Amino acid sequence: MDKLRIVIKHEYMTIIKQPSFWIVMLAMPLIIGLVYGLSYLGNKSSEDRIKELAKDIKNVAIIDKSGLVNKAVVQSNGLKISSADQTAELREQVQSGKTEALIVYPDTLQKDRKYSVYLASDDLTKMGAVTGLADGILKTSLFLPLGSAEIIALAQNGAESQVITYKNGQESAGLNEYVVPGLFVVLFYIIFAFSVGYMLTSVSEEKENRSMEMVLTYINPRNLIIGKLLAVILVTLTQVFFFALMAIAAYFVMQSLGNSISLPAGIDLQKLVFNPVTIAFSAAYLIVGFLMFAGFMTATAAITPSTKEANSFSAVFYIGAFIPFYFVMMILTDPENPVTRFITFFPLTSPVVALLRNTVGNMSLLEASLALITMTVFMVISIWVAIRAFSRGSLEYSSRISLGSLFGK
Amino acid sequence: MTKPIVSITDFHLSIGEKQIVKGLSFDINAGEVFALLGANGSGKTSTIRSLLGIYKPTSGTLHIDGKRYTPEQARTVGYLPEERGLYTRSTVLDSMVYFGELKGLSRDEAHEFSVAYLDRVGLADKANTKIKKLSGGQQQKVQLGVAIIGGPKLLILDEPTKGLDPVNRKLLLDIVDELQKGGAAVIYITHLMEEVERLADRLLILKDGKARAYGSVAAVKKEFKSNSIEDVFVSIYNEKSGVNHG
Repeated sequence: MDKLRIVIKHEYMTIIKQPSFWIVMLAMPLIIGLVYGLSYLGNKSSEDRIKELAKDIKNVAIIDKSGLVNKAVVQSNGLKISSADQTAELREQVQSGKTEALIVYPDTLQKDRKYSVYLASDDLTKMGAVTGLADGILKTSLFLPLGSAEIIALAQNGAESQVITYKNGQESAGLNEYVVPGLFVVLFYIIFAFSVGYMLTSVSEEKENRSMEMVLTYINPRNLIIGKLLAVILVTLTQVFFFALMAIAAYFVMQSLGNSISLPAGIDLQKLVFNPVTIAFSAAYLIVGFLMFAGFMTATAAITPSTKEANSFSAVFYIGAFIPFYFVMMILTDPENPVTRFITFFPLTSPVVALLRNTVGNMSLLEASLALITMTVFMVISIWVAIRAFSRGSLEYSSRISLGSLFGK
Repeated sequence: MTKPIVSITDFHLSIGEKQIVKGLSFDINAGEVFALLGANGSGKTSTIRSLLGIYKPTSGTLHIDGKRYTPEQARTVGYLPEERGLYTRSTVLDSMVYFGELKGLSRDEAHEFSVAYLDRVGLADKANTKIKKLSGGQQQKVQLGVAIIGGPKLLILDEPTKGLDPVNRKLLLDIVDELQKGGAAVIYITHLMEEVERLADRLLILKDGKARAYGSVAAVKKEFKSNSIEDVFVSIYNEKSGVNHG
């Protein structure tokens, strides 16, 4: 027990003392913040410029051959409709720069749903402003017969749906029910992206720097592997704690800046559902799935002679963890599908698939339990293989150990 | 008669189809330097790994201090393997303290020993330097420190002077001398026969997993009618089919 504690402490401190650990951890929220900020500022600036330009665009000619454009709408924009006979002449004026733009709504508009815009320059902002103007004139003209401005706005922009769902005759929380278990899916990927790889590098680096034989003299392989696993779990908890702190800080900063945080799809933090059974299954899938992948990574590092080769082999596990995203709609909506069933129990895909299905609750208690049992069996196998590979392969410095030597007596 | 520190009896080791060691038996007593010799692939490292429980013997008994070695007895043993290295991303002091703790010392004991050792070998100013920034010779001194931390009863040194300059070689051999005088048994693996002549009390020469010579340095020379261990070694390896002297 004491040696386990020593290994955990050593491995944990070795990882968190690395500058790269903190660079990666700090870089992620910083990059997200930077991208968000720049795109917000950039989009706002573009929108503002287009609006400014749209105000100034008065030298625009409009020809309506379709009969769908309303004269009053055109006039309200400070423009007028020209005669269809002037098309060629106005086009020449645009070409020579005397007129800024010409919008032609053809008589085939209704059938082809196409119209033309001629511009005196290829300035993208101006292009956006004029096409926006042309689109606005057409839509407003078409919606005008509806009557009030509110109805026109409703027809143009639609309305937000508020979904009320019932379960067993009672009103249910709808999407709010999926938020908490859904966070476990996000957490799994954070852990997978940041932590599972530590097992790979921790073992393969020990092989590469030849410290393994000295270590194995003083501690047995099982304790060493378990110590490393527990240290990686601690590292992961540190990361999760750090990201949670950053999220809370971001929330308060946004609030202090007067921005209300609107969550998508009608998600309401006050109405989140904390179902203990669902959470227990999600937590179990997360932990067992993590340990299973960590076991596979350790075995890979122990079997292969170098970090480079170990990294190449480990790609299989990364692919396995991301495959479910190609089937996400099927996983969420078609639980009876044989493919869904297969990937629920296939070791490399089972953690993510089970987490997703548990989130939307499309697994029976029996199926959820079977998935957990299967995953646990594979986790035990992966750790057993890892310890065995570690015992047999950790001192093979120049070649991969064979399956015969891995599973033989 | 005192109990030997190491006792190996009829030890056989096969890995896969290959027989690595065939019926090896020998003892090592406290306070003696025992040279384990043999060409590459003769079974020396496999014997040591089996003695330390890293490999499981096919048959036979391998005892340290009267029992099969487990990592729980880590403090009894110091091992400097041929393929050696340390955590390159850790500092010298952190690395030494970690191994000291793994060997069963308290953190304070490990720290105290490490500081004194680094001072003795002229690395006091490198205590907080990362291992990867040390020269090969400096790293080797740290590795020896890791092996002897805790004052082991049995010190196993596999080519300890490989790559060391004469000054550091003398320093290392002086440290080994001190440990031996303090009662530790030393298994010394080397290809340098002058070191064997200078240091070893007894020796064993392995060829193809079998003992081909075993006894005190003088007795082995007498048995092979040679003036030097190097000649004995060469004659054993030049034999087409050897006689098992072990």
